[in-house]
Amino acid sequence: MSSELDELRSWVASKARDLPAEGLTDDLPLLEGRHLTSLHIPQLVLLLERLRKAPVDVEELNAGDFRDIATIGAKFLGTGPDLGHRRA
Amino acid sequence: MTRQGNVRQGNAQKGNAQQGKAWQGNAGAQAESSSPGVRLREAVEAMSGTVDRLSELSRKKYQNPYEALVWPESVEPEQDLFFSPEMTSLHGTVHAFPEDRPEFRRFAFQEAANFFSLNIHGEKALISGLAERMYRNDLLAISDYLHHFIDEENKHSVYFGGFCKRYAKLYRSRHVPFGAEADRTVSDFLFFAKALLFEEHADQYNVVQAKDDRLHGLARFINQAHHADEARHLVFNRAIVTALWETYAPGWTAATREDVRARIGQFFVTTWREYYNPDVYADCGFDDPWQVAEDAWCTPGQRAHRRRVSKKCLDFLLSSGVLEEEPADVF
Repeated sequence: MSSELDELRSWVASKARDLPAEGLTDDLPLLEGRHLTSLHIPQLVLLLERLRKAPVDVEELNAGDFRDIATIGAKFLGTGPDLGHRRA
Repeated sequence: MTRQGNVRQGNAQKGNAQQGKAWQGNAGAQAESSSPGVRLREAVEAMSGTVDRLSELSRKKYQNPYEALVWPESVEPEQDLFFSPEMTSLHGTVHAFPEDRPEFRRFAFQEAANFFSLNIHGEKALISGLAERMYRNDLLAISDYLHHFIDEENKHSVYFGGFCKRYAKLYRSRHVPFGAEADRTVSDFLFFAKALLFEEHADQYNVVQAKDDRLHGLARFINQAHHADEARHLVFNRAIVTALWETYAPGWTAATREDVRARIGQFFVTTWREYYNPDVYADCGFDDPWQVAEDAWCTPGQRAHRRRVSKKCLDFLLSSGVLEEEPADVF
């Protein structure tokens, strides 16, 4: 899954605005910090579906599911929750 | 209709030139002179001539969707054509089906169902946002027209939903509703700008397909019925977007204007992405439908297609000063 996670990090890095000086980390709050907006979610869902090769049930989603890269990875790509402060 | 729209656009351009000067020297004084609500009410009242004409036309062209169309018992997706080949999302890509094959007509049928589905999802959001704004004090002057707007959007969904439920399926949306704006002036503007963008793009498809005599009569009818009402909505959308921009934007900080412009760029991307639906490709037998969507999105011919379809809308947003440059990642 690490290559999928890298692709996720790369996608978020290409879309996120006003990143902090330390750059994009796996625990950076993406929506709450206004680095991404809800308008990015449809594209992000498409990316996640492509990476996991399975649909995402959009009607069951909450904003918290997209809190940060670690949460997204754990929820949609089956990666562990211990990604912590890894820099993207 | 078109003439009225041009007049409005012409005025809007003049207004923006003046507005641009106000931003440089007088924005603070203007913002202090009255609240955003008062200024919006005045701007909306200035639209009354246009809005009254549109309301009158809506009343004249009032249509009952339950009488205007007799639905066929069944359709033949592999025999009849339901979507113009040149408008399909795989046209000119490595994944395109040969156009003389039943598989292509089946794909075109699914593309029609996707087009109708994305219209249903867009109209749901539109109806909800219009209903929220009806009879608001500062929008009172357009409330009569909002009755027609909501009524007509609902009727369109009767057609789109009728097709999808009878003969095909309703494709899901990947849009999610969370993330409301804190600033009402921004959310008002973005709501109507999104409506404008969504409707101008769908209308381009309607115009082409309503005239395409290769298509099954049902597909032509639905596209024509949608276009007949949308022509009025497009005039209204341009007028209200202009009024909101001229009223609100001078009071926004440069950072807010930049953020609004970035979001409009994202509208372009999310609007267009829905036309490349992996669920359609999966239904047509592709093993990796997400990769097909990505390949189609990146194909030069499809980029050129998006640019052609977006041109009128993009020209309006650029000439009215809402956008300063083309959005990234779309064309």
